[in-house]
Amino acid sequence: MKEILLGKLNGHALPHEWFTIGGTVAFVLLALFAVIVLTWTKRWTWLWKEWLTSVDPKKIGIMYFLVAGFMLLRGGLDAIMIWLQQALSSGASHGYLSADHFQQIFTAHGNIMVFFVAMGFVFGLINYIVPLQIGARDLASPFLNTLGFWLYIGGVIMVNMFFALGGEYAATGWLAIAPLSETQFSPGVGVDYWIWSLQISGIGTTLGGINFVMTILKMRAKGMTLWKMPMFTWGSLCSMLMVITVFPLLTATLFLLFLDRYFGMHFFTTGSGGNAMMYTNLIWMWGHPEVYILVLPAFGVFSEVVSAFSRKRLASYKSQVAGLIGVTVFALSVWLHHFFTMGAGADVNAFFGVMTMVIAIPTSVLVFGWIATMYKGRIRFTTPMLWFLGFIATFSLGGLAGVMLAVPPADFQLHNSLFLVAHFHTMVIGGVLFGIFCGINYWFPKIAGFRLNERIGRYSFWFWIVGFFVAFVPLYVLGLMGATRRLDHYDASTGWQPLFIMSFIGGLIIMVGVALQVVQIIASVIQKRQLRDTTGDPWDGRTLEWATASPPPFYNFAVIPEVTTRDAYFEIKQNGGLPKPKYEDIRMPRNTAAGIYVAAFAFIASFAFVWHINWLAIAGIVGVILCLIIRTFNEDTEYTITAAEVEKLEERRQKKHAAAKPPEDAEDMGLWEFIKIVVTWALDVIRNKRWRTW
Amino acid sequence: MNKTPHPTNTSPKPHHGTLTSYVTGFVLSLVFTLIPYYLVVNKSLRGDALLATIIGFAIVQLVIQVVFFLHLGREKKPRWNLLFLISTVSLIVLVVGASIWIMRHLHYNMMPGDVTNKVANDEAVHQVSGLQAGTCPGGTGTIYKVELKNDVASPRHTNAHLCDILIIMNLDDTTRDIEFGVHAKHETYAGEFGGALRPHYSRMITLTELGTHKFHDHLEDKMTGDFTVTP
Amino acid sequence: MVKEHETENHEAQADDRVAFGFWVYLMTDLLMFAVLFATFAVLRGNTFGGPALRELFSLPLALTETLILLTSSFTAGLGMLAVRRGSKNQVLTWFGITFLLGLAFLGFELKEFAEFIHEGHTWQSSASLSSFFTLVGTHGLHITSGLLWMGTTLVFIWKRGLNSHLVRKLTLLSLFWHFLDIVWIFIFTVVYLMAYV
Repeated sequence: MKEILLGKLNGHALPHEWFTIGGTVAFVLLALFAVIVLTWTKRWTWLWKEWLTSVDPKKIGIMYFLVAGFMLLRGGLDAIMIWLQQALSSGASHGYLSADHFQQIFTAHGNIMVFFVAMGFVFGLINYIVPLQIGARDLASPFLNTLGFWLYIGGVIMVNMFFALGGEYAATGWLAIAPLSETQFSPGVGVDYWIWSLQISGIGTTLGGINFVMTILKMRAKGMTLWKMPMFTWGSLCSMLMVITVFPLLTATLFLLFLDRYFGMHFFTTGSGGNAMMYTNLIWMWGHPEVYILVLPAFGVFSEVVSAFSRKRLASYKSQVAGLIGVTVFALSVWLHHFFTMGAGADVNAFFGVMTMVIAIPTSVLVFGWIATMYKGRIRFTTPMLWFLGFIATFSLGGLAGVMLAVPPADFQLHNSLFLVAHFHTMVIGGVLFGIFCGINYWFPKIAGFRLNERIGRYSFWFWIVGFFVAFVPLYVLGLMGATRRLDHYDASTGWQPLFIMSFIGGLIIMVGVALQVVQIIASVIQKRQLRDTTGDPWDGRTLEWATASPPPFYNFAVIPEVTTRDAYFEIKQNGGLPKPKYEDIRMPRNTAAGIYVAAFAFIASFAFVWHINWLAIAGIVGVILCLIIRTFNEDTEYTITAAEVEKLEERRQKKHAAAKPPEDAEDMGLWEFIKIVVTWALDVIRNKRWRTW
Repeated sequence: MNKTPHPTNTSPKPHHGTLTSYVTGFVLSLVFTLIPYYLVVNKSLRGDALLATIIGFAIVQLVIQVVFFLHLGREKKPRWNLLFLISTVSLIVLVVGASIWIMRHLHYNMMPGDVTNKVANDEAVHQVSGLQAGTCPGGTGTIYKVELKNDVASPRHTNAHLCDILIIMNLDDTTRDIEFGVHAKHETYAGEFGGALRPHYSRMITLTELGTHKFHDHLEDKMTGDFTVTP
Repeated sequence: MVKEHETENHEAQADDRVAFGFWVYLMTDLLMFAVLFATFAVLRGNTFGGPALRELFSLPLALTETLILLTSSFTAGLGMLAVRRGSKNQVLTWFGITFLLGLAFLGFELKEFAEFIHEGHTWQSSASLSSFFTLVGTHGLHITSGLLWMGTTLVFIWKRGLNSHLVRKLTLLSLFWHFLDIVWIFIFTVVYLMAYV
């Protein structure tokens, strides 16, 4: 009876290890803090109405940023734990983590960074910026947008849920290769949490991909042909086309693994005719394009930033677009390079090795295009520009390592060594993460209405890039020395420990960089009046998003501008600015909680699948279907703002803008000033017991 | 908003059917279903020909239904729907085709040992990791050694019987490329290619093919030899 | 008058966008099926000592299912013609027939599954059977979803009449239904016919 009701859930699932108790307590405290603040400030309704049920891609974008930022800290904590373990665990010492726990940590680290940090930031940027760049007010399907976001949140909760219930995450590596991930070798719930956190957030990503493709292809402003689109939109389009191509492959593969585990099927098992190598083949068919999905929007960001801060048009727009498309197409034909050593033979390995090397070509077209843009430009070394230059240095290095790995005989030596680990971290950190930081610094004034502190931004960049090299160059060396990846312990006679310690120190330097980024944001908020963006165009930009106020009104544009050239806003400025607006009625989508409800039921069903609670799974699925029916048969999902109302809103906004005090001319505060301000404030709070007035 | 349905000629709808198109599509699909069915049931074709035919019919029926039921290709430009369909079909060919290609190669190279021997036997591959692969049911016979030293094969001629073993040993300090046939025309022996023979390495050949066969060092052409296999 | 035209234009653009978006979704669904087809192609011979699939299948049954589904795709097309004519009763009739045919298809499929299971050939028996049940079963799940969608839409049409919103729904549904028949062509060919080649 108990099994029918609760499946595999029992008392033992509750936290009883130091890290599960610690993790649960941490999350509970965070949640409690949030509840207290919201109740004290009476902001529950505001939160629900203005943010959680919003379909505004600007708000959804900001929510993605916040969650992805939080998950960056969570995944970074995993990284520190890995660094520390490997620095300590040589010879007689076995560090402080058991082997199994270590394996769960690097698995969680990989999943969190790829799915919830990188994808989260990328979706945040695309949500906020692309509609502005193409002159749209919203995405093609506002409902799919909010649904996709809440499915992502479901995945975030699911990947952290094991702390409270179950006590284990998958210990299989971030892709859970079969047969290790089959029930026979992973009987616990860890792999099931892995499957469902990726499955629901993956479906959310697919829906988002469909939505963005629809939007970019069908909702551009009048006159904006594909060849006139900004580069970030191109990068996003290519990325989202790849999403809709390969995420279905992931969905199907995870589904097959789930069927093996839940229904005892034999796709990838070691017996009964299963073929575990098929799993590797299928999962990498998704896995390789996934990294390009992450990096293509970053490439788009860099194209924008290089052009803006070299004060020049992008050199050879068409080659750049061709480069993006080239990367997109070729990325779909290289996946076997992740398993050269599995024995497919020379023919197969040769084909995929060559295709992998070929991808370097369109990538170099992009790199040379950016450098050509800088040539004879008037360069401003702002923080975004620094991130771009850091990317060039880092990504090229990692790319060279990649071409080495693309050669099958070389890969036979380097596969699954630390050389590989260093390579892909170089690409993901140097390419994707630097691109995200670049984009955030670049578009922050548009999003928040004031720009980020430049001084502290520069410090954070330098700590990041120095820390990166200190952390990862030793790993390249270790890999060439024969060190395998995912080692929780190694022999002292290898002589590897000094390099692992150096890597750990690099990790600490990176953490300082992260801390400085947080400081940068807080310092910018403190100085927001000085840093305020009053024109909407702080960098003298060239694309349409800079034609709006900072931040833009909820309808983005009062009147959608007509576009005649590339670098549309630059052209508009040359011709004397936007024409006098002729206001029209605007149709806007209503906010909706349907996304939350559908995602909640999907989460319940997934939870039930993890714990084998059949009745709950059925209830969850029925709930999803019912909510979808209710939403899709609802015919009243939009409302109209009349032209008169639009005019009033615009007038009010402009009056407020004119009345606002101009920003004081002061320098961005430095680190020392920041520390002084914080200490003064803290002392003030304590001495005068200010909490009584909060 | 309850609006009465209005003719949608003004809207950019991609699908606009007529009775003719649906009936045509239906009849054609019936035909292209029944023909392959009867071909299979009556075994009129066999093997690869049958396979190619039924897949061909399926692809044609796909096009029929796409054109007559889904009305694709009649939208005004840009024809996104058609473009997406073609891309998707190409991707499906890639996913399915490449998977089959890769898995087949993996299977052939990585099969478990006992199955490997069976396949080797079936394919008359007689050397599998130096072990005999079951083509000589009575076991192997005499072992003949040919030593390669100072660019000379000794003995130059070997006479042996079926299922004897020939071992070619490279006793020099240079690597040799021992190929079957003559310098101008390489051959295979019993399915085996020639190849590099490093200093002090040897190569074992089970003699499962009758006749006289030449071999030579492709790098040092004056070094030749042959062996004759009689039943 | 200008406002009405603008609303209609807005609606038409929205219809076009939604139809395109749904089409893109169908492409992603096709790719999911591609994985199932690839898996079936690789694993269909791994019977783990059990019977080959051709010993279990009944080609006449497969043909019956194929013809039923094809006919239902045709009647769905006739239903869409009725939508263009604006005739609520004809829409209900033709889609009602489509619904019944779909139900019959499911019935035959479930019967086939039940027979296999009864004889001890379940999805747990071997990789071959796992991939068979999954590929054909997933298609069956899609048919079930389609029937659920169809039933709900027909009920709303019966109550609210044929408004533009429900017309848009039926358009997407008919796309979905045709697409499921197209996938079935390949299941019929690759799973059933190919077993005998």
